[in-house]
Amino acid sequence: MVGKKRPDFNKVDDYSLDSFFCGALVTNSSRKITYVNSYFTSELLWKPGELVGQNADVLFTPSSKIFFQTYLVPTLLHDNVCKEMHLVISNAQGIRIPIIVNARIDDEGSIYWSFFNASKQDQLYEELLNARKVLEEQAQQLKLLASTDELTGLLNRREMEYRSDLALNQAERSHQTVGLLMIDIDYFKKVNDTFGHMEGDRVLRELGQSLKTFCRKTDLVARIGGEEFLIMLPDTDKTDTLLFCGRLHQTISNITINNRPLTVSIGASVCKETISFTDFYGQADDAVYKAKELGRNRTEFYSKH
Amino acid sequence: MIMSDDVLVRNNVKIIGEGKSKTLFFAHGFGCDQNMWRFLIPELEKHFTIVLFDYVGSGASDISNYSKERYGQLEGYAEDIIEIFEALELSNAIFVGHSVSSIIGSIAAVKKPELFSNIIMVCPSPCFLNFPPDYMGGFEKEDLKELLDLMDKNYIGWANYLAPLVMGTTNSPELIGELSGSFCSTDPITAKNFAEATFLSDYRYLLKEIKQPSLIIQCDNDALASKSVGEFMAREIVDNELKVIEADGHCPHMTHPDVIINSIIEYAK
Repeated sequence: MVGKKRPDFNKVDDYSLDSFFCGALVTNSSRKITYVNSYFTSELLWKPGELVGQNADVLFTPSSKIFFQTYLVPTLLHDNVCKEMHLVISNAQGIRIPIIVNARIDDEGSIYWSFFNASKQDQLYEELLNARKVLEEQAQQLKLLASTDELTGLLNRREMEYRSDLALNQAERSHQTVGLLMIDIDYFKKVNDTFGHMEGDRVLRELGQSLKTFCRKTDLVARIGGEEFLIMLPDTDKTDTLLFCGRLHQTISNITINNRPLTVSIGASVCKETISFTDFYGQADDAVYKAKELGRNRTEFYSKH
Repeated sequence: MIMSDDVLVRNNVKIIGEGKSKTLFFAHGFGCDQNMWRFLIPELEKHFTIVLFDYVGSGASDISNYSKERYGQLEGYAEDIIEIFEALELSNAIFVGHSVSSIIGSIAAVKKPELFSNIIMVCPSPCFLNFPPDYMGGFEKEDLKELLDLMDKNYIGWANYLAPLVMGTTNSPELIGELSGSFCSTDPITAKNFAEATFLSDYRYLLKEIKQPSLIIQCDNDALASKSVGEFMAREIVDNELKVIEADGHCPHMTHPDVIINSIIEYAK
């Protein structure tokens, strides 16, 4: 063939890193910048030659410097490369620009960085993180609503059952005794009938508050029915449970209805061996009936008859 | 109630060299675990009983006990310390805390003064934020917020390769390589929560309430806790001694263990 020239596939064109629309940077083992491509002048507004010879710190924000030391360098030392790392750099005017970095380290400790502006991806991350935060808060709120009694803020029956099971298992493992109290307000129906439900609610709220303040941080306190409350006392024996009940009657009597002190009947039980929550609860329930039969405003201990 | 044995398992408590007359209680800093003390132990165990632990959410602690609420502030971590002392029936020990743990220890010390006879603080900072002109913690709020954001954005991978904050830049790559990575792997969610509690808190007010004699060990070139922070602490804590050592970085107990061993022995003997 004559006249038409064939393309020369062996010829290497003189492309350079300046042709690429991304940052290319080389730093040596003492973190000095030894090369930057023209992206740094055209997009990041540094003056030509301004960066070479400077410490790489000049490019990074304080938080990115910490990441550089605690994450990027260790990763490079372990894997020789790091991929898709999010960092933030400053341009020549101090404007922060989020970037995604890939980097490689050679045997002499020089790091070859390539990075892309990640402003849009950063916005997406922000939105995802905010969405996660909102969901976490909502989940927390729902969990709280599902586990507490609305009127008193104490645990509700379901949560009490769940936590009591855990506490009983723990007590079994560490061979400790646990006390359980069922508290029933005396003549509560009369309070509602005579003074109205608003007054009844006030009494329940005050009693709830008073139980919360009176109990230890490790005790479990719940409202499990209209005027019924349950308290679990971990690591407490019979003597201490009785003492606790005595003081409880006294504290509760500070709440008044029509200038008369509030009274409660308490059924108590103490377990030393393996017992299910349902059985333990049954014992305290038996005991509270006994307390009511014997005239109310008292504590009775469960016994096997 | 949390039982003693459960606390010891929960916090991965280790006791070394039992029976010595004095006890050193070591509390690790953010982003690491009890392993960060390993260069000090062989020498110090000859002189002291040593207690090591991991905060819940760090190291080999039982993460099922983690609560975002409790560990959302430093008081929750101080509770871990108090509960370990109670479980061990320990009191009058010498507390050694790194970085934020110096402050966590101080919270415990103010709440239960009988626990510690002395406090040794390695590179402490009561507050990382700048409040010019009176106090320069080293960072603007924007920087710290960005740091926490970067933790979120590097969620995949970050916490697996977290080197103890901060090694310093002039220590050799071999040393940094040896010290980092393999042993500080931590859960990213708990680490982020710990970071938030650490970096956004301000406990400057607490320093005046510390009654125990304290030793403050400061590095002369530390990006996270500058010398001026050490000097501020020395002015605020009633009974203290400030020791500035020639070291680069935030972890002298790892980069310069001999200096720290000697300082502890000299102070605690």
